[in-house]
Amino acid sequence: MDAPKFNENERMILGCAGDDLPDSPTPYADLAQACGVEENTALALLDRLKQSGVIRRFGATLRHQKAGYGHNAMVAWKIDDAGRRLEVGQTLADRPEISHCYLRARRPEWPYDLYTMIHGQSPGDCLKLARSLSEELGVPDFTILESVRELKKTSMTYFPRP
Amino acid sequence: MAPERMDCLDRRILDIIQSGFPLAPRPYAEVGRQVGLTEAETLARVRRLKQMGVIRRIGASFNSRGLGWTSTLCAASVPEDKLEAFIKEVNRHPEVTHNYLRKHECNVWFTLIAENVERVEAILRSVEDATGIPVLNLPAEKLFKIKVDFNMAGA
Repeated sequence: MDAPKFNENERMILGCAGDDLPDSPTPYADLAQACGVEENTALALLDRLKQSGVIRRFGATLRHQKAGYGHNAMVAWKIDDAGRRLEVGQTLADRPEISHCYLRARRPEWPYDLYTMIHGQSPGDCLKLARSLSEELGVPDFTILESVRELKKTSMTYFPRP
Repeated sequence: MAPERMDCLDRRILDIIQSGFPLAPRPYAEVGRQVGLTEAETLARVRRLKQMGVIRRIGASFNSRGLGWTSTLCAASVPEDKLEAFIKEVNRHPEVTHNYLRKHECNVWFTLIAENVERVEAILRSVEDATGIPVLNLPAEKLFKIKVDFNMAGA
């Protein structure tokens, strides 16, 4: 995907939309007014970028602890057979309890290949699932990285808020 | 605390607006129609969910790659006595979006998003120079899934 270019007005719209929509029954009209554009212009831009995937998601971001999904663990999987990495990655990604799944560069001092974020509603859920996936997939080498404390969590500011 | 203070309409609203917040002039009227509430009732519930802290924000989440940016996962093994200084040095960079202390010898894990690879490397070098702790850089080679919606009605 080629990186899209945006003009000054578009950057202002995206700066507002990437933050928090105005608290109003007509958030897009308010946003457009703040940026000095027509509501239709703002809505058309957001719709186009959502369709093309540049906007990955448009909606409410939840704090998952407060939403009742308090427990998460990152699990790193070691798969020596490079031919199996794609298949195992896809199988892991298909699980509803797994929110993120990536294949990453292996390092001599950290020889893992696949990374998954597992969510559970009670303690022990993540460990139990990791063990059963390990058995099911025939991937015995994995390490669980349970979160102890959230040190930072923000959304990236790609476009400064006007 | 929050989950038990949400009723099933709150949960249905959350399921709709996590990825399907309407791009339409009266979004709360549209969500309200789907769950059988008025626009005002729907907006009032969303306001309450924000006040409770369940909703962090409502807006666009950009695809960093789609914008031509680059992201990576980084990790470090930080001894207890250096932890506070290391966390402070990492977190001061706006490009660091998530950072977690994890139960492992390799205990600090953070994600970094920057305009290009050179910027990523410059930030990591400056963290290493400032703290004397080596940082593992684990850029993604393939993304299988990134999904941040939580199933609320079925929860």
